[in-house]
Amino acid sequence: MQCFRCGVEVGNEKVCYNCGADILLYKQIIYTSYVFYNQGLEKAKVHDLSGAIETLKQSLQYYKYNTRARNLLGLCYYQVGETVRALNEWVLSKNLQEDDNPYADRYLAEIENDPGLLSKLNSTIKKYNQAIEYCKAGSRDLASIQLKKVISQNPNLVRAHQLLALLYIQDKKYSDARKVLIAASKIDSNNTTTIRYIHEVKERLKEQNTGRRRKKNDVVTFADGNDTVIMSENSFRSMLDNSRSSFMNILLGLVVGLLICFFLVVPTVKSNSSDKNTKTILALNKELKQADSDNKALQNEVDELKESLSAYDDKQDVATSYDNLFAAQNSLDAGDEKSASESIQLVTKDVLGESGQRAYDSLYTKLGPTIVKGYYDDGNKFYLEENYESAITNFEKVVEIDEGYNNGAAVFLLGDCYRLTGEKESALDCFTKVVENYPNSKWGRQAKTYIAVDDTELNAAEVGE
Amino acid sequence: MIDFEEELKKYEPAIEVEQAEADIKARDLTDLTDLLFNMTNGNVQK
Repeated sequence: MQCFRCGVEVGNEKVCYNCGADILLYKQIIYTSYVFYNQGLEKAKVHDLSGAIETLKQSLQYYKYNTRARNLLGLCYYQVGETVRALNEWVLSKNLQEDDNPYADRYLAEIENDPGLLSKLNSTIKKYNQAIEYCKAGSRDLASIQLKKVISQNPNLVRAHQLLALLYIQDKKYSDARKVLIAASKIDSNNTTTIRYIHEVKERLKEQNTGRRRKKNDVVTFADGNDTVIMSENSFRSMLDNSRSSFMNILLGLVVGLLICFFLVVPTVKSNSSDKNTKTILALNKELKQADSDNKALQNEVDELKESLSAYDDKQDVATSYDNLFAAQNSLDAGDEKSASESIQLVTKDVLGESGQRAYDSLYTKLGPTIVKGYYDDGNKFYLEENYESAITNFEKVVEIDEGYNNGAAVFLLGDCYRLTGEKESALDCFTKVVENYPNSKWGRQAKTYIAVDDTELNAAEVGE
Repeated sequence: MIDFEEELKKYEPAIEVEQAEADIKARDLTDLTDLLFNMTNGNVQK
């Protein structure tokens, strides 16, 4: 490094050994300049161009030969539409550092290579200046027109945006002002003037909205196809009232229609339906009568057939009965009372002739005890097998022939079978007969017990006990 | 509340191309190193 004063190479020394200049301070100044440059660069990267411009200016106030800072400052000016300022910075940069200054070279070359650009930008600057003059003269409309032209030609000129926004604010066109300011803030995000105007516009818009809400009751706006209809609230209400009355008429019409349907159409449908039902019932009755008559005819036929069948059976029975009667006589003669009694039971007495009936009675008297004993034994057998239905059949026959058989045992057992099959009344009848006729026999005592306790639920084993 | 007239005063005319040269010449390019130089020279002269 060279001494800033005498130009001697001083290396890393703090003080120049030749002239005594404070090299450290000089270094600190240059270092600070680069610190500001770095800050300016960071701000420029986030589109805080006004902040970057201020910081880069500070950087150059420390060290004017900081060409990077100067080139970046020119670029920031160019970006906010200050083309001449940008050009000046780059020209100065080139003058202060003629060699090894590629950025300045490039920027200047680009402007030189496009000769129309500079004149165009210059015309926008002139228009902008003229707009300021118009504003100061009070011709805000002319100023607005000029500024719109300026913005269309040089959309980056932030100052033009701000001035136009100011005019809009003055004319109370806050929405337009907001649009212009938003465009300006996209170019230079942290410009204090833009931010201040945006706040102002927001406040005004809030006030306007509150006012609109208050006025909302006075005016009603709605879209009708492509048109927007604006009408006073009273007109709107009267229109709504008309709509309501129309709606009420439609509703009334619907109700009347429903009533007509209910009182005229429904009964007709119902009567048609009942007619159909009646016809169906009549048809069914007819069919039923026909079926009844058919049934009667068939029943008569069945009766006739039964009669003819019984006549045939009787004819059959006569021969069989005589056969069985002879078989019984033969078996008795042979001393086989059991077979004789079985045969005599197969004889039908009514179909026999007089002599046949006398022979039957004589034979039956002889075989009576054997027959009863057979029924009694069978009954007992079924009783022990708990086949009470068959036992009842056999005991009934025994009782029919000889009610006092075996000291009332048959009646008692018949009653017990009734008891066990749930026929309580029949059971009690039998037990009563046993008690009356054979009170001292074991059957009589047992029957008395049953009657006394009225407990017919005891089982056969208990009865035995 | 923005005062339009006051605000308008802040708007200065932009530099036109014709004024560029004059603007460069009018620039005070003195920086802190210049001041240091002058200060150091003054001390030496004293």
